[in-house]
Amino acid sequence: MPIEIPKDKWPGSVRQVVLGATAAEGGTRTSKVVVGGETCMPFMHFEGAIPNRPVVALEIRDRRPDDWSPLLVKTWENVIDDPAAWAKAAEEVGADAIQLTLSLTDSAGQPMSPETAVATVKAVLQASGLPLIVFGPGQSEVDNLLLVAVAEATKGERLALGICEDKNYRTIVATAMANDHVITARSPMDVNLAKQLNILISDMGLPLDRVIMDPTTGALGYGIEYGYSVMERLRLAALQGDAMTQLPMLVTPGYEAWKTKESKVGEGVPESWGDWLQRAINWETMTAIALLEAGANILVLRHPESLKQVEAAIQDLMTAPDMVSV
Amino acid sequence: MSKYIATRAIRGSNALVTEAEFMLQKALNEKGPDAKVEFPNTAYYLPLTLGMMGLEVETLGQLNDVLEHARKLLHPVPSSRRWTPYLGETLDAGMATLLAAEAIEAIRYVYGLQPEPFPGFQLAGGTAFFGANGSTGEKGLENHLNGPIDDIQLRSWGIQLVDGRMPGFAAIVGAAKSNEVAVKIVRELQKRNILTFLCGNVNGRSIIDQLVEEGVELGYDTYTVPFGRDTLSAIYALGFAVRSALTFGGMKGGQARDILLYNRERVFAFVLALGEVDDLKYAAAAGAINFGFPVIADTVIPEILPTGITKYEHVVSMPFNEIEGNDDFERAERLVQKCIEVRGVKVKIADVPVPVPYGSAFEGEVVRKADMRIEFGGKHSRCFEYLQMVPLDEVVDGKVEIVGPGFEQVASQGSMDLGIVVQVAGRQMQTDFEPVLERQIHYFINGASGIQHIGQRDIAWIRVSNAAAEKGFNLEHFGKILHARFKTDFGAIVDKVQVTIFTVPEKIQEWLAVAREAFDFRNKRLADLTDNKVEEFYSCTLCQSFAPDHVCVVSPERLGLCGAYNWLDCKASFSINPTGPNQPIKLGKLIDPIKGYWTGTNDYAKVGSHGQVQEVAMYSIMENPMTACGCFECIVMLIPEVNGVMVVSREDTSMTPAGMTFSTLAGIAGGGLQTPGVMGVGKFYLVSPKFISADGGFKRVVWMSSNLKETMAEEFKAVAIREGDPDLIEKIADERSAATVEDLMVFLEEHNHPALVMEAMF
Repeated sequence: MPIEIPKDKWPGSVRQVVLGATAAEGGTRTSKVVVGGETCMPFMHFEGAIPNRPVVALEIRDRRPDDWSPLLVKTWENVIDDPAAWAKAAEEVGADAIQLTLSLTDSAGQPMSPETAVATVKAVLQASGLPLIVFGPGQSEVDNLLLVAVAEATKGERLALGICEDKNYRTIVATAMANDHVITARSPMDVNLAKQLNILISDMGLPLDRVIMDPTTGALGYGIEYGYSVMERLRLAALQGDAMTQLPMLVTPGYEAWKTKESKVGEGVPESWGDWLQRAINWETMTAIALLEAGANILVLRHPESLKQVEAAIQDLMTAPDMVSV
Repeated sequence: MSKYIATRAIRGSNALVTEAEFMLQKALNEKGPDAKVEFPNTAYYLPLTLGMMGLEVETLGQLNDVLEHARKLLHPVPSSRRWTPYLGETLDAGMATLLAAEAIEAIRYVYGLQPEPFPGFQLAGGTAFFGANGSTGEKGLENHLNGPIDDIQLRSWGIQLVDGRMPGFAAIVGAAKSNEVAVKIVRELQKRNILTFLCGNVNGRSIIDQLVEEGVELGYDTYTVPFGRDTLSAIYALGFAVRSALTFGGMKGGQARDILLYNRERVFAFVLALGEVDDLKYAAAAGAINFGFPVIADTVIPEILPTGITKYEHVVSMPFNEIEGNDDFERAERLVQKCIEVRGVKVKIADVPVPVPYGSAFEGEVVRKADMRIEFGGKHSRCFEYLQMVPLDEVVDGKVEIVGPGFEQVASQGSMDLGIVVQVAGRQMQTDFEPVLERQIHYFINGASGIQHIGQRDIAWIRVSNAAAEKGFNLEHFGKILHARFKTDFGAIVDKVQVTIFTVPEKIQEWLAVAREAFDFRNKRLADLTDNKVEEFYSCTLCQSFAPDHVCVVSPERLGLCGAYNWLDCKASFSINPTGPNQPIKLGKLIDPIKGYWTGTNDYAKVGSHGQVQEVAMYSIMENPMTACGCFECIVMLIPEVNGVMVVSREDTSMTPAGMTFSTLAGIAGGGLQTPGVMGVGKFYLVSPKFISADGGFKRVVWMSSNLKETMAEEFKAVAIREGDPDLIEKIADERSAATVEDLMVFLEEHNHPALVMEAMF
């Protein structure tokens, strides 16, 4: 008996955003990343087009992080003190992009200077040809200080700059406009706040094809359903034609998953929790894949093994099944 | 447009374009058309020409095109017999002036005459010109003025102008009344972080000379840039404005209209003309007006007050000697104030200047009697607070005045009468916002550690702790807090804030009377403010984060269900944050005045609920009732057996006649679902004439939580009278008299409740 599959037809689509500029476009990247463009809900290939697959970025730090799980430190031990080498290593294990987070202080405990930040970013750009996403430490004033310097020193590379939120968006947007970069607009898990920030950004004159939104999320077991629901609603609104939500989404499951107890703690936990490393990787992978299903376009991870598994999942999900034979 | 100004500006521009043509001819003869033309350290060619004409000028020969264009913009000087408006002609003349001025400066560069030589002068940071004009210093900052701002500095300041750290820029043209006044004006601007460009002269004497004589450091480092001592160098200020738009507005050369609009909307600049205004200055001023930059003069000139190209007035005359003030310093201060006002520059205040820690974390603090230094209000004294809107020129921003003695002489743990009067002025301010702002006094004062604030209006009660008093907290700090917070949090509607604190009895009495009159007026205004008197309601989507499809429609007679947002709050919120959660809903066509349907509210319900709700009845619980998030103060629910509704308050944990407690009911009422017969509301909606008016109104209430009855006894009494049944409240059961429907029926019959004989609810 033939089964008729109900299909949704959407009037809207997600904007396409390009990260990274090659030499021909005025940058030095050897590859670029194109995200967005879908005209249907995630992986509903039979309802619309998904022209660009979701991509995975690996997070690196400008110096040895103070608060990372020992498991991660061990994994990256050989490169953890050298962001350039770290970036290269991340490229070698198959990341589509690099996400560099700048620290609040340098390893000596002094406030991070714009000069050091610029030197680090330049070293990373030199070491890896992948598109680069640069996040400040997450305090708006420091973010402004560091990111403006970074943006000016890397004009034309089409970096993605973050964290751009309602407190500091003007500064980050202005510098992105002046230096031809992309921004990631972060809002705290709320559809309306995400939309409002996008409106404010677009009011400043930054074309929306240079904006990625970061709706924020939680890890598996730590509020992921809330984040999932916000992303799903953002995507539904985008497909319904709301221009101010039609932006690709970036989320940071690596950051979220690796701060959970399940990933951080190896001792004094029930035996039934199983192998620590395996558990931590599973946690990161499961978080990431759930967000993939919610509509994420860029996933930022921390562990190379999770990267491998998520990449495999993406490959699977992007293979459109032949619906006739189902 | 003033004919006088038009005449002089057009005359000035004609003269300047002609002069530029002569200069260019001479330069072409002497240097040839291929001679290179450029401003140093910029990638924007001649920026104004690039922006307005899209022309990348690199050689002397290209200036021909520029001046040809300028010539075309010129109009004849108006004849003495014609009295038509001249705005268009004057603006064109202004633009021609700017193009000619930029061309002249470019030619001067070819001859090495720019930046202007100034022997002995040392820039405190500026554009460096190695070896140019005899400058010998290592960085080339000596013996010349700055000329145009370089691109590096443009980026640094441009970002600050865009993100608001720098509120705007001032272009000062001419010379001040005295050196001291010049210094004072610049200091006032620096104090506010306003970038200051200096140029021009009056009879050969420039404000730059005045400042240099007084030893004021000029340069990038001090946010004061000396462009040059003639009027023409003012072109660098407009070149800066054009480059801002090109760099941070994402615009391209030639997008003249967009660039001008960008500056009007986003670059808060103004021209301050000091001293006599000649034809050329009028012409240049007309150029600035193209950018939306108003001109304020400290001499007698005709004014152009109506709004149009600029956001507010175009040309304002404020003759220096006629400015109110005790001395020239105060006059200078007022002059700068006026400039800020005319351009609508918003100055931010970084910190609340009090000697105790300040932040919302201290809002809930309690000051106990034992720890108390002094109290105002409460049992032993009176305290009132009153916020009043007044015209802009009646407020001195930041002024805090104490009328009467401080509390230093009052014994420890004593009390004192106090009156706090906050006067605010703002272009966007409305009398309707007075109560909205006044309510904030409570939160603002509570934010100071060791200070407790309770109540409002004429029943305010403030305590200052010993710890705070020991740290030096005094009456003046109330004013400082209020000024800082109102400017920071409500800067969108408040431009100026002044606070007066009274402790002398006569003054307190006098102002209390004024305040009470205003409170009275506000009460009446609220009572008069009915749904049929407004053209728009407001949406509130604050709660969509957890009830994604719920949307509140707030009308004058139906406040938000949380009780925190009434119509005026929403209106103010929209003024402050136009992209925020409160958006006006144009009512459109009235569909049903009884149930409360408008085309506008229905359309909005569809959009706001993402298609979940198709229609919303403002005044009915039975048909398309308004949805709720979960924050409602009370739940109204149909009790079919008795043909009425019950009202359960959030504080009431007891069982209700519906067989469910508040928390169980909340699941039915919330979540953005439309459930006929159930509704979450704000408690003050209960006393509104529009409370379920389509279903019979307040007379339908058969049961109500006792704490509601008690806390709102006065209000309900008034409603009972309004409904023509003064004993109505006694006829309403509560959890003490009826916990089940059976008991309720008995109670209602005993008390002869009107709902029993009203027409059936469904």
